[in-house]
Amino acid sequence: MTADVHTLSGAYALDALSPEEAAEFRSHLEGCAACRDEVRELRRAAALMGAAEAEPPPPELKARVLAAADRTPQQPPRLDLRPRERGAQPRRWRTWVAAAAAAVVVAGGAAVTVDALRDDEPVPTAVEQVFEAEDARTATVETANGGRLTVGVSPSRNEMAVDTSGLPDPGEGRVYQIWAVHGTEMVSAAVLDDVEAGAAMGMPEEDTEVALTVEPAGGSEQPTSAPIVQVDPRDV
Amino acid sequence: MGSEPGLRLVHAREPADVDVLVGQVALGDSAAFEQLYDEVGSMVYGVARRVVRDPARAEDVTQEVFLDVWRKAPGFDLERGSAKTWIMTIAHRRAVDAVRRNEAQKKYDEHAGVPDEVHHDAADDRLIAAEEHGAVRDCLETLTALQLESVRLAYFNGYTYPEVATLLDKPLPTIKTRMRDGLIRLRDCLETPR
Ligand SMILES: [Zn+2]
Repeated sequence: MTADVHTLSGAYALDALSPEEAAEFRSHLEGCAACRDEVRELRRAAALMGAAEAEPPPPELKARVLAAADRTPQQPPRLDLRPRERGAQPRRWRTWVAAAAAAVVVAGGAAVTVDALRDDEPVPTAVEQVFEAEDARTATVETANGGRLTVGVSPSRNEMAVDTSGLPDPGEGRVYQIWAVHGTEMVSAAVLDDVEAGAAMGMPEEDTEVALTVEPAGGSEQPTSAPIVQVDPRDV
Repeated sequence: MGSEPGLRLVHAREPADVDVLVGQVALGDSAAFEQLYDEVGSMVYGVARRVVRDPARAEDVTQEVFLDVWRKAPGFDLERGSAKTWIMTIAHRRAVDAVRRNEAQKKYDEHAGVPDEVHHDAADDRLIAAEEHGAVRDCLETLTALQLESVRLAYFNGYTYPEVATLLDKPLPTIKTRMRDGLIRLRDCLETPR
């Protein structure tokens, strides 16, 4: 790319780059904090320009949208880790799963493909942000099914992440699921649709460990198999 | 990548309603999703309508946008920008993708006289009600003619910057630069206390 690649930020914020150029500019963004900041601000300005065109949609659209959402699974939700603890502020266990499999829903007689947007994904991903933090510490552990799990923690970000790319394929119709383990309680933190993507989350409270199990596709309410690995992020 | 001081600081600010709603949607709250639709549905539909023109396709785009928001809300991070900007960024991207899939519409637009389209005309004022919207209108007027045309042809007509350069018969680097400094001027104007 040429030296004035930074000046593409305006065209990028307006979605006016070809797919190839947009991809190139996104790689540039990964290493250029100034452009990331600028894109964020210019997108905000563009969003306000778009918002100024507000126009009420036809009333019947609302029911159609709500019904379609009803049939559409969400990425794993953030969870209150210890919702039953009295007197304590519910604490959010924030998870981000960088990529999700495409879902197809049929609505209003038309098939709508809902795939991951190219542009609104984190740059870099939340997982990368943890592993690349200046104070990041990592540890790699063997799993019971013959894979490797790398855990990263960043005290300054108060976040942790798991790199699951070293895990074997969970098998047909199976997924890996991440759990927060506190005493005898296990709470789902994320279902890994894509082992390459890994997951990042807020650092759990003390006495909370992180476990991985293999579950039927879609994940389980409670683990249906023994963890293949369990780690205390504070030991990393 | 090194850390970027200041970039990820969480500012002590009261989140706007849309931010709160998206946080609830992230937890699977479908009542909050319905409220969110009521809150930003006309912005999403409005920008889709403006970009794709055809009302039926604008409805399809609107539905795609809200399904994206529903699915991806759990991964939304307020530290990267407001929920409203996030939603409008998805909306614009989806609308532009829809237009680019349909070359016929583009040709129609070209023949329909795009240059007229990029100047303000009073008929468009039907849309402007809220104070913020008036601010956008006022601030757009601070752009030079070329900045304004470049920004609007890209944003509202879905043209890439090389296409805009051809339409306006200007060199590529000029258009690229006008898009950027036009948006910067818009941003600065919008951030100025009024
Ligand atoms: Zn740059």
